[in-house]
Amino acid sequence: MFPEVALTGTTREDVGRMAEWLNDSEVNTVWYGLGDDGKPMHHGYSPHELIDASDEELSLVVENEDRKIYSVYTQEGEHIGEGQLAVDWPLLEAQLFLLIGRKELWHHHYGTVAMIRLLDEAFETLRLHRVWVDVPEYNEHALQICQHLGFVLEGHMRKSHRKDNEWYDSSTMGLLTEEYARRRDRLMGSPTS
Amino acid sequence: MPVITVNGPIGCGSVTIGQAVANELHLDFVDRLVFTEAAKLVGIPVGALIDKEQRFDRFRDRLGRFVQTMLERSAVSGVSGEPYFGRGIETLPPETYMELAGETTATAHKVSDQEFIDATTKVVTDLHKKGNVVIIGRGANRILADMPGVIHVGLLAPIDHRVDVIMHRERFDREEAQSYIEEVDRARLAFVRKFFKVDADEPTLYHMVLNLEKMEAKTAAAVIVHACGDLAS
Repeated sequence: MFPEVALTGTTREDVGRMAEWLNDSEVNTVWYGLGDDGKPMHHGYSPHELIDASDEELSLVVENEDRKIYSVYTQEGEHIGEGQLAVDWPLLEAQLFLLIGRKELWHHHYGTVAMIRLLDEAFETLRLHRVWVDVPEYNEHALQICQHLGFVLEGHMRKSHRKDNEWYDSSTMGLLTEEYARRRDRLMGSPTS
Repeated sequence: MPVITVNGPIGCGSVTIGQAVANELHLDFVDRLVFTEAAKLVGIPVGALIDKEQRFDRFRDRLGRFVQTMLERSAVSGVSGEPYFGRGIETLPPETYMELAGETTATAHKVSDQEFIDATTKVVTDLHKKGNVVIIGRGANRILADMPGVIHVGLLAPIDHRVDVIMHRERFDREEAQSYIEEVDRARLAFVRKFFKVDADEPTLYHMVLNLEKMEAKTAAAVIVHACGDLAS
């Protein structure tokens, strides 16, 4: 059985938990590693800086229509991760990011279900036409989830992804709205590992 | 800096073979990315370009466009019904309206054939200049037809073999897979004929044509890798 998760808006407390999760080397190793300043890298904003920002600065980040940020919560109301959709409105497409920060929940299908919720949001709420991901080679679990969800490999670029001063290959995978619609009902039937 | 194009009808294993070759020769691998990059150049959703390659012009689609045109004319002229429809457009079945509404996302953003071919050509020629890449389909073998340092590979397989592949990959039943393949085959042939004025399955367009019913994907990949040795010499 798949667990239930919900997407919500992001609060300052959520940002604080993201910062804590990213401080864990096991978590930031599968994400973007450490920056030159030794702080964990993140996409779109820095949780370590935003945690102390003014309410106005916080709102600018978490209410940005071009980069939709969602907190991932379990049915029991526990915050477990963050999803983002970086939207290119003229092209009706978005790059998707997802991090399950609670590492004890990895490999229990929370990532798969959170991805489905993000895709529902992209295609059904935002009415986008394409969602894409750029998955580095070291994140094999993310590649498996994307394949399971029907993402199509659009390209594989060598040494295109830099982390901790090393270069890695990455795969660009895309999913169009009609491809997702064709698979949506079958997705909850067969969980990936 | 080899460039390899791989073309074949759906279900032949172009992607599997292309990836294996790219992996073996340490090359980039580019499939639908050609269209997503071209879409950025012309500033329209990628679906409008993919439609040009994959959309089979069904009677229902043509009817839908005709109805949409009528609706647009009605809006311009301020009338709600058209005499052509007798009982008036407002009495069309609701599903027709739903189809029309659905078209407002991707296909309402039309791109001219020339814009499409210009953008695709730019992306493919840029990839060729950069080199070290395997490109899947998208007319790349015609765009780079006379370019040096390029190997064009054609793939084929009987439809029964391809139906088995698609059933497994898309979780279709046999009938769905057969129908899907026939539709995409027709669209592919029409696309290449329209934009590149050739028959996509004409063997003389390729350095080699491999039958994937008669050999494993890994064997086909090994043959292509071996041929790249000739390219280097």
